[in-house]
Amino acid sequence: MSGSSEREKRKAERLRAESATDAGERRTRLMQLAAGAAFLAVAVVLVLIVVNSSSSGSGGDTKLEGAAEVNQRLAGIPQEGMVLGDPKAPVEVVEFADLQCPYCKAFTEEALPPIIENQVKNGEVKLAFHNFTIIGEQSLPAGAAALAAGAQRRGWNFVELFYRNQGAEASGYADDAFLEAVAKGAGIKDLGKWNAERDKFTAEVEETTAEAERLGFNGTPSIAIRGPKTDGLEAIETPGSTGDLEAAIEAAE
Amino acid sequence: MSYPAEGTLQRAIAFLAALGVGVATYIAVEAAGGDAPTCLAGSSGCATVAKSSYSHVAGVNIAVFGVFGYVALLVSAFFANDLARFGGFVVALGGFGYSVFLTYVEIFKIEAICQWCVASAVLMTILFLLNATRLIGYGGTDQLQEAR
Repeated sequence: MSGSSEREKRKAERLRAESATDAGERRTRLMQLAAGAAFLAVAVVLVLIVVNSSSSGSGGDTKLEGAAEVNQRLAGIPQEGMVLGDPKAPVEVVEFADLQCPYCKAFTEEALPPIIENQVKNGEVKLAFHNFTIIGEQSLPAGAAALAAGAQRRGWNFVELFYRNQGAEASGYADDAFLEAVAKGAGIKDLGKWNAERDKFTAEVEETTAEAERLGFNGTPSIAIRGPKTDGLEAIETPGSTGDLEAAIEAAE
Repeated sequence: MSYPAEGTLQRAIAFLAALGVGVATYIAVEAAGGDAPTCLAGSSGCATVAKSSYSHVAGVNIAVFGVFGYVALLVSAFFANDLARFGGFVVALGGFGYSVFLTYVEIFKIEAICQWCVASAVLMTILFLLNATRLIGYGGTDQLQEAR
């Protein structure tokens, strides 16, 4: 009887010892796995940070060109909403455009600079940018983003910088990261406010698009002009050059 | 070295993971409704971060991943075995690592701080420490406990 009890006791001790050995081995394996996972996590985080720090600093991964040049050229010219120039200027030229439209880019970059440099700066003309969204679904948020920039008196900086970095038509480049980069490059002071407000301007983009349709426009850019000699805001044929636009301004004065 | 009782660690993990589920769900729900979480004191940091390109991975709001992560941690707190200890550690490690990356992004890339994201990062950091303590203190003890 006592012999059998002794055997059971030894068996129990052996089982306990084996369990302790198994537990030790299991624990070692767990710690090795945990250390491996921790090492992997540190490596992944470091790679993510290095990859992101080597991309552009603003608005995600988008690199922009011409921000300094655009901001320097527009510096000192009054801006109110999407209007560039003296609010009391007798002639107003309204450009109905889609930010994704390559012809609008060409018009703004080729025909407008001499007008801005002369008639706008000397207070004869003010330029207004009205969204006329016809290209693609990103045109609406892009237009609203421009208006939100306008609320911080950086609307034209936004528009010109957008054009300067315009991608292939409706190719999907005008995403949030691109808009953020343009906003930052345009020198918007309160990016948080810009970001929070831009959705609110969607209705205004839709309104100006409807306004363009009321004026009979069916393509971008389309131009309307208002001056002492016009009957309110009058649609004109899109000027092919600075000279054509100067002639239209002269006729309206 | 002595560790806090595993039951205490499990209760703390469950409590913080439940808070995390609340924070991540709030951010995910606001984002799904097209809004940004409301920052305290009128700060616009939450809107800036929510609308940044870093707020989504593969088209999914990262708060959604956060909800799943916190739920996994909550579930792991209800079991006292090596699978729960190791699983909890790995999930918390992943969450902590991603929180470090997101905090870096907020400070140096987006240049805006979202208070809800900071709250989540703090929760995940504490959860990582608790889960690491639990794994180091009690990992591999399943068979030992059964033998006793």
